[in-house]
Amino acid sequence: MRFGLDREQWYMVLALLLVAVIAAMLLGLTDMFTRGPIQAAQKKALHQALEQVLPPHANDPQAEQLRMQGEDGAVLIYPGRDGNGRLTGLAWEVVAPDGYSGSIRILLGLEPDGRIHAIRVTNHRETPGLGDGIVHDHAWLASFVGRALSGTRWAVKKDGGDFDQFTGATITPRAVVRAVKRGLEFYRGHRRMLLDALVDADRKRHGGGQ
Amino acid sequence: MERSEVFMDGFWHNNTIFAQLLGMCPLLGVTTSAENGFWMGAATLLVLLGSNLVVSLVRGVIPKNVRIPAYITIIAAFVTVVDMAMNAWMHEMYLVLGLFIPLIVVNCAILGRAEAFASRNSPLDSVTDAIGVGAGFTFALVLLGGVRELLGQGELFGFPVFGDGYPDVLMFILPPGAFIALGFILAGVNLINRRLERRRLAAQAGIKTGVETG
Repeated sequence: MRFGLDREQWYMVLALLLVAVIAAMLLGLTDMFTRGPIQAAQKKALHQALEQVLPPHANDPQAEQLRMQGEDGAVLIYPGRDGNGRLTGLAWEVVAPDGYSGSIRILLGLEPDGRIHAIRVTNHRETPGLGDGIVHDHAWLASFVGRALSGTRWAVKKDGGDFDQFTGATITPRAVVRAVKRGLEFYRGHRRMLLDALVDADRKRHGGGQ
Repeated sequence: MERSEVFMDGFWHNNTIFAQLLGMCPLLGVTTSAENGFWMGAATLLVLLGSNLVVSLVRGVIPKNVRIPAYITIIAAFVTVVDMAMNAWMHEMYLVLGLFIPLIVVNCAILGRAEAFASRNSPLDSVTDAIGVGAGFTFALVLLGGVRELLGQGELFGFPVFGDGYPDVLMFILPPGAFIALGFILAGVNLINRRLERRRLAAQAGIKTGVETG
């Protein structure tokens, strides 16, 4: 008898410990095998979304990602450049915290002058058949193309704005419209700084060998 | 019990959904299409296979007093393995099923099989039971997902069935549609079971009269 435990109790402790150790080993092994493929799958999903929202570009936007300080935490900016290194557009993820069920993540692609090239929803938990029109409704997604902060009423039509709501779902598109608007405001406020940082990063990359 | 009986018991007579009405959360949550239902069922089957096998293998070793935490640890480990594997190799489906994969841990049907079957039977029988129960669960999910997808969107496994003119019945995609469709499916299952029972009784009576006249 040690620590006030009898034989039987010690046996229980050891049995549970053994189960836990074996389970942990199994998980460690699985992690070893899946870590690479998970990162590759996430990168591929982001790559596909970036190809859709960025203007034509010749570089790998993920390889040139730039970390910026936004209002609520860090933002990763993905720049698109043509063959001569000139900026053709930039994209980053904006979050709508006020969706119908949880946050909606939207990849926002802009032309350098601040007009929208395209948007795509990358993650959401909205109701299938109602709110998930923000993923499937191509006409609705297309209604964002070419819009800028000025000259657009950034609200759904029900609230006197320029964007359609869906039948039976107003909260979801309202949240997306708001988030995109906030993204555009962020760009207006930080444009100078952002473009300078991107030029800097580019110079560093190419100037390293000179 | 014969091994085929073990399978049929899990697949049909004691079907998790049709007979026990367990595991309703994933059932109603993910079955907006047949494909979602299938992969949710497949993930559950894999977890069940692993947990039933291991629980059966350690059935003489784990002390009775701590068996529940031990089983839950085993189940949670397999759920995490399936979760990581789907994230790595089926990324798109993983995003669709989302939170429902980790939630397999609390699917009481799985702990139920560990406690009621695997902890008392040989590994081979326990694997058979897991395949029967898992296949039955998958069948129920695909059936409900298929009905909802067909009525809600006029498609099956993503292929159009009713053509472009079909007016989507949104209600079947929304949660109430899940309950209504499930109700009709359960009624159908009960009808089939009653037929089977009547036939079995008739056969028995036939044998009896046969014996008497003979």
